[in-house]
Amino acid sequence: MFKLSKESEDFVKKELSRYEAKYSAIIPSLFRVQKDHGWVPPEAVSVLAKLMEIPEAHINEVLYFYTMFNKRPVGKIHAQVCCNISCAMNGGRELADALCKSFNVQDGVMSADGKITVSRVECLGSCDTAPMMQVNDRYIENLTPELAVRKLKEMGA
Amino acid sequence: MPKIKINGNEVEVPQGSTIIQAFKATGVEICHYCWHPGLSVAGVCRLCMVQIEGMPKLQIACNTEVKEGMVINNTSDVVKETVRWGLDFHLINHPLDCPICDQAGECGLQDQYMKFGQYDPEMAENKVKKHKVVDLGPTVVLDSERCILCSRCVRFTDEVSKTNELGIFNRGDRCEIGTVAGKPLANNYSLNTVDICPVGALTSKDFRFRQRVWYLKEADSICPGCSTGCNVKVNYNEEGLWRIRPRENKEVNGHWMCDVGRDSYKFVNLKNRLVAGKVGQRGSWQEVTATDAARSAGLKLRETVAQHGPDSVALVVTGQYTNEEYHRLFTFFTVNLESNNIFHWMNNPETTKDFDGLLFRGDRNPNTKGVVDALGSFALKAKWEDLQSQLSSRKIKVVVVAGPENQAVFPDMTEKITFFAQAESMIWLTAGQSEALNQTGAETWQIPLKTYIEKSGSFTNVQGKVQTFKVGTTIVAQAFTLSEVVELFSGQELNWNLRPHSLGGVKTNYSIANRGAL
Repeated sequence: MFKLSKESEDFVKKELSRYEAKYSAIIPSLFRVQKDHGWVPPEAVSVLAKLMEIPEAHINEVLYFYTMFNKRPVGKIHAQVCCNISCAMNGGRELADALCKSFNVQDGVMSADGKITVSRVECLGSCDTAPMMQVNDRYIENLTPELAVRKLKEMGA
Repeated sequence: MPKIKINGNEVEVPQGSTIIQAFKATGVEICHYCWHPGLSVAGVCRLCMVQIEGMPKLQIACNTEVKEGMVINNTSDVVKETVRWGLDFHLINHPLDCPICDQAGECGLQDQYMKFGQYDPEMAENKVKKHKVVDLGPTVVLDSERCILCSRCVRFTDEVSKTNELGIFNRGDRCEIGTVAGKPLANNYSLNTVDICPVGALTSKDFRFRQRVWYLKEADSICPGCSTGCNVKVNYNEEGLWRIRPRENKEVNGHWMCDVGRDSYKFVNLKNRLVAGKVGQRGSWQEVTATDAARSAGLKLRETVAQHGPDSVALVVTGQYTNEEYHRLFTFFTVNLESNNIFHWMNNPETTKDFDGLLFRGDRNPNTKGVVDALGSFALKAKWEDLQSQLSSRKIKVVVVAGPENQAVFPDMTEKITFFAQAESMIWLTAGQSEALNQTGAETWQIPLKTYIEKSGSFTNVQGKVQTFKVGTTIVAQAFTLSEVVELFSGQELNWNLRPHSLGGVKTNYSIANRGAL
């Protein structure tokens, strides 16, 4: 059974009092859950819904809109490959496919050893350096498939 | 009241209304999906584009308020071109499976595209595949591919039913309507989402694949499901009734009705009906025509009064009949038979006051207020306890029961039939077949009655609003209204030239009937 830590609960309450509309607190609260757990389990949505007094459907709408929220557990290395317009035109989708193939994983599914997750994501705001990916909290830019694989291997994937 | 010009015609509309409301009020056609008069403005479909003089760009009519002196048109080439392309964008991922879609014929997308579309789509992209048959709940099925994301259903669950089950999940062209973690869409108003769905994305489990809508006829009526008296339209064909949908009435039900009320077409159909008169007792019935049954029952009634006096007969009424019928029936009893033994059978005294806050009421009779008013106007004060004592003391020889039309809301029917059968004879007036009558020892006449859709009259709803309705169709031609029964009871004849014809009843198409539940 999922349970929010005391600190996180206080955080959510503080966020709720911070904004005029309580819907504004959904994103920070979801991020807090993700920071604590690595991903946002469905039970967390129910817990947040009860705590924030917002219908589950509305929290889920936000959760499923943003690719930045992990709807499944992710590996130690989470490579998020941008597949939005600029990156797609410069080979972002092929990059994502190449990574999936070379690390033998499916898009968005954690590898069996828990080391790596490769996922396609929406725009990360680095169109000038397309194609690019975000590995955990770092941007790695101007990629080719070979370069991306090498970088990830260097990081221990 | 600002004066505006719509397509060159000057009109006056109330202060604060939006342009689309002005269009609707003046009857000018405008293409739209996401706007619904009973819901908030979403402004997501971008089809209600209008050109306003002095504004550089087109505006959406649903979210623009009218201002004094606005000059608006939706017939210029630029508007037409925009709407054409807007419609084409709606069709990018729409599967266009109209031939197998249950909505075909009453589909917003079809209708609007025929009127405003460009007929020759220029989209060459592959369509996004989504979930095709999603079991959303006990009453509704979702086809995500057909959904154009107008968000009407989501707004309905947020604003009207306030149950918040539905949401739009994911992003961009992968957007889908859904519930959270597979929870069912299970509120008493869920089928309204099917009504307001402009495409075939949400379909009713009860109705889907039963009939093609263009073969159905429509009649206006009043829902007999509870004392709210929602205004409804009934769809029927030569086989019977197929569905009930709400009809707008701001004072009573707005645009909505409940799922329970939508079931009130089922008891009307032929297989649940008493189709002829029956005379007998203990389950051995002699079938006679309804007319003969009514005549002989009337004779028995009059003879009993002549022999034992007016107190030897009693009348029991439920709140399921029209004001006109009550009046006729009460007049016959009080004036012709001079009996004041008229009793009101309350099927649910415990829940009568219940109300779910939206439409559905615990009093499951359409005309409880009507029968109470009628009893009052005839100054009839007989109590149920009097009936009890007079029945057990054998004072009452014949009891006439205007029984339930919608038997599902009378859980106490079996018990009450046994109770009435303490009398020597029972005249049971009803639309439906009742198994419980087979057990009783009283000499019984069963006389078939018409249901709400087969007669004209009026119901008084819980607000005291008298709502009239007219004959929609006839399922059982032999059946009578209570007024007609009274004519026959009093020895008069009906005008046989005016009798209606029966419908054929539901024919089973076995290739369809065995196709699976969903």
